[in-house]
Amino acid sequence: MRSLRWGAGPALLGLALLCPPLHAGPPRPDAVADLAARIDRHIAAGYAARGAVPAPPADDAEYIRRVYLDVAGHTPSAWEVREFLADKSPDKRRRLVDRLLEGPHYTANFARVWRDLLLPQNNNQTARFFAPQIESWVRVRLREDRPYDAMVRELLTAAVVPPNGPPRSTPGGPAFDQGALAFYQANELLPENIASAASRIFLGVKLECAQCHDHPFAQWKKNQFWEYAAFFSGLRPQVRQQGAFSPAQDNGERHEIKIPNTETVVQARFLDGKQPQWGDKPKVRKTLAEWMTAPDNPYFARATANRLWAHFFGVGIIDPVDDLGTDTLPSHPELLDELAAELVKHRFDLKFLVRAITASKTYQLTSTATHDSQNEPQAFARMLLKGLTPEQVFDSLVAATGYRERPQGRGMPPGFGGPNTVRSEFLSKFANASDKRTEHQTSILQALSLMNGKFVADATGLQSEGTLGAVLDAPFLDNRERLDALYLAALSRPMRPQEAARLVPYVTKGGPSGDPRKALADVFWVLLNSSEFILNH
Amino acid sequence: MKRDSYSLSRRDWLKLSAAGVVGYSMSGWLENLANAAAQDPQRKRACILLWMSGGPSQMDTFDLKPGTLNGGPYKEIATSAPGLRISEHLPKIAKFGDRMAVLRSMSTKEGEHVRATSLLRTGYMPTGPIQYPTLGSLVAKEIGSDEAPLPNFVSVAPTRFFGVSGFGPGFLGPQYAPLVVGETNPFMGPNQGTDQSLKVQDVDLPRDVDRAHAAARLDLLQDMESEFVAAHPGVAPLSHQTAYNRAVRLMRTEAAKAFNLEEEAPRVRDAYGRNLFGQGCLLARRLVERGVPFVEVTMGGLNGGAFGWDTHQGNFDRVKQLSAVLDAAWATLMTDLKERGLLDSTLIVWMGEFGRTPRINPQQGRDHFPNAWSTVLAGGGIKGGQAVGSTGKNGTAVEERPVGVSDFLATVCLALGIDPSKKNNSNVGRPIRIVDKSANPVREVIA
Repeated sequence: MRSLRWGAGPALLGLALLCPPLHAGPPRPDAVADLAARIDRHIAAGYAARGAVPAPPADDAEYIRRVYLDVAGHTPSAWEVREFLADKSPDKRRRLVDRLLEGPHYTANFARVWRDLLLPQNNNQTARFFAPQIESWVRVRLREDRPYDAMVRELLTAAVVPPNGPPRSTPGGPAFDQGALAFYQANELLPENIASAASRIFLGVKLECAQCHDHPFAQWKKNQFWEYAAFFSGLRPQVRQQGAFSPAQDNGERHEIKIPNTETVVQARFLDGKQPQWGDKPKVRKTLAEWMTAPDNPYFARATANRLWAHFFGVGIIDPVDDLGTDTLPSHPELLDELAAELVKHRFDLKFLVRAITASKTYQLTSTATHDSQNEPQAFARMLLKGLTPEQVFDSLVAATGYRERPQGRGMPPGFGGPNTVRSEFLSKFANASDKRTEHQTSILQALSLMNGKFVADATGLQSEGTLGAVLDAPFLDNRERLDALYLAALSRPMRPQEAARLVPYVTKGGPSGDPRKALADVFWVLLNSSEFILNH
Repeated sequence: MKRDSYSLSRRDWLKLSAAGVVGYSMSGWLENLANAAAQDPQRKRACILLWMSGGPSQMDTFDLKPGTLNGGPYKEIATSAPGLRISEHLPKIAKFGDRMAVLRSMSTKEGEHVRATSLLRTGYMPTGPIQYPTLGSLVAKEIGSDEAPLPNFVSVAPTRFFGVSGFGPGFLGPQYAPLVVGETNPFMGPNQGTDQSLKVQDVDLPRDVDRAHAAARLDLLQDMESEFVAAHPGVAPLSHQTAYNRAVRLMRTEAAKAFNLEEEAPRVRDAYGRNLFGQGCLLARRLVERGVPFVEVTMGGLNGGAFGWDTHQGNFDRVKQLSAVLDAAWATLMTDLKERGLLDSTLIVWMGEFGRTPRINPQQGRDHFPNAWSTVLAGGGIKGGQAVGSTGKNGTAVEERPVGVSDFLATVCLALGIDPSKKNNSNVGRPIRIVDKSANPVREVIA
């Protein structure tokens, strides 16, 4: 981050005192800068302990691309990059984050992040059918800035049976919510499935193993699992039928469950061993939801903070992120506790944590390695490379190439009878082959698709109507400027001197066929096929 | 870091191109190489894994108990091996009884699909941070060649969208990842049709890109990539480079023609069965002929799908239909391999993630049963014509010679001439054996 020259400082301060603020963004509490500084202090202490040497700070080009991908889920457009690079204000990075957090792409991006979390881990086909409904349920709440704990409580206590008659199709109706029901249906309305899912997603505690026997790596016993699942025992699992899903039943007062293949019946009990106090007409799921999201619940705030950290850094302070219930040690225990406490203090406003994380020096380190100690992921001594989700790949390609999709008709989504769209074909091809974002893998088929597939071929063809077409047609640019335009569109940065030294002559000579237009198309193809494009760095 | 091979060949290639040779392959040499390989007695082994997704019922395939309470309606038939009897609905494969060893005493502990699939395919339970590699990746690393034009591990129609654990190279790294064809997943629209789905997509240059520019592009990309990889050590950029290297290799040579099933006579394609599994087995034969050391073909149903063998309902009708598809494809595969002199050097592994209960449930189905089930090893490296282990009169428990997952995988390794105790470096720093050291391989079936 560039600091003001000494002379400019007092002058700007004087101006600021005279003029009203130019941007009426959200109030800038010191809390953000405060927490950012504390994050940095904890991490710096970690460097000392590990003998790690931090990488230098990222420059503006690296920062804008990274933050766009992490917050908005796609790369910035060339003109957004140009504006940002030219902006001389000292707080432009924080204002960029603020701007992105108010935009629609943030909600769309994070709706997908939470959707992927909320879907059952084994990704079965039936569950994916519910993906769009779950996604839109989350998106509505993100748009309203619903505090995270309220959102979780709402989901856990959602009505699964409509009060009268068959389910209405409009989501978010007063008592019955199709979107929330989708979460339950994706888990087959089985108490054990919902309980496992809730524990994994919201508490970061993976209990699945304990369903059948005592957990091999943690302290959870089989009985404990079922005592916890008993909170959902009022739900009646749906009967399998061809296609249709029969309406569920919900006995909201039931709180005991029979362990399958045994005669044992257990009562609902919290994971920390405490017994709930059941009144006359207990609201069982509400009781669990309140325990789960309580400020003193040992897992909830930490799991949430850890997940957010992992989103921005590629790896959590506890890794894997759903290992909170085992012996896995956090890499920076005080930091995690502090982030959790801040979340609680700010009433689970996720945006606050996002602002603080992205304002920290740690987040703003470059991803270029300058010392071996930076290769240890949890040293956080440089920014790690992160893979993109399939949606991010496609959306970034669209941003870079200026692709315009033809409007699709309504009807069944692709994969369930509807026709494939360009987007859906991409999503299927670029599904992740590794569960770890920092060890993202490209497959041969993905490589072939980017090299020879129709999308990139069209975008890099001389008939392109998007970015390449615009660059080729602009009469007032020289070759160097054309190349920079392509770089800005694809990689969000201008060429480096050694790249210019290589590429300007290449384009001027026109490549193998002596045609500068074809040579420019070559360069654009190279950029779209590079690691630098396909990774978040 | 390995020197990329394609930029060297580009010069040769350009020479050929300048000399007016059509196409950018070194035509002819690959076929010769494959033929020579088949006749070469020193030829390395290959392995074809026939993965029965869903857990096939052993009591209705290879370990029948006719006439007992839970035996069900199927009869047993004799095979070409005296004393070895299997389901009447597998008559064609029965003719290869003398080449197969049936392991009837498989006994494992995992009864949930996704975890069991991972366990049986990697040899280790899928818990914790360690990314265990799948069998194909382990074998590809041991007996594959880094210079081969085709990938060393091809996976046909894997059912990965139920969970990727157990289908990838894990800590061995992206170099040992499979090339996947025929994969069905929920985002794809209506079935493309087997021919199209078993091809490697996008392997040809787009029409309006001329080869000179294509080569120039690769050169420029190589420059960019080496700078980026040098500045960003880690799996992700390396994986990207590796994938591109192999993709270019696939494009450059005749190798991708292996996937052109139209080259086969229609009656051959009919014999395998005009369904995804049948044509997948045909593809496996073609790949093995061309030196690919490990091909897995998943049978997810009668024609694609997943967990097709998971017959909780209507078990007997269903297994009969599945058996017909399996029988035609497998037997034709064995016949073809034998005719080409490849059966002695190709190990065929038939398995699912567990078996099914002897008890028949009220829906006329059988449920998950890892306690006592069957797998089959056939072909190269195997002493055929025998059944190992017994599940007694009713099939409810293993009575003799229990075989766990490590025992089984160690046996597969030995049949392929691989040392199961060899260690690989894992992603947590600890070296991990190919197969867990508790393994007690079934030496009786090793030739």
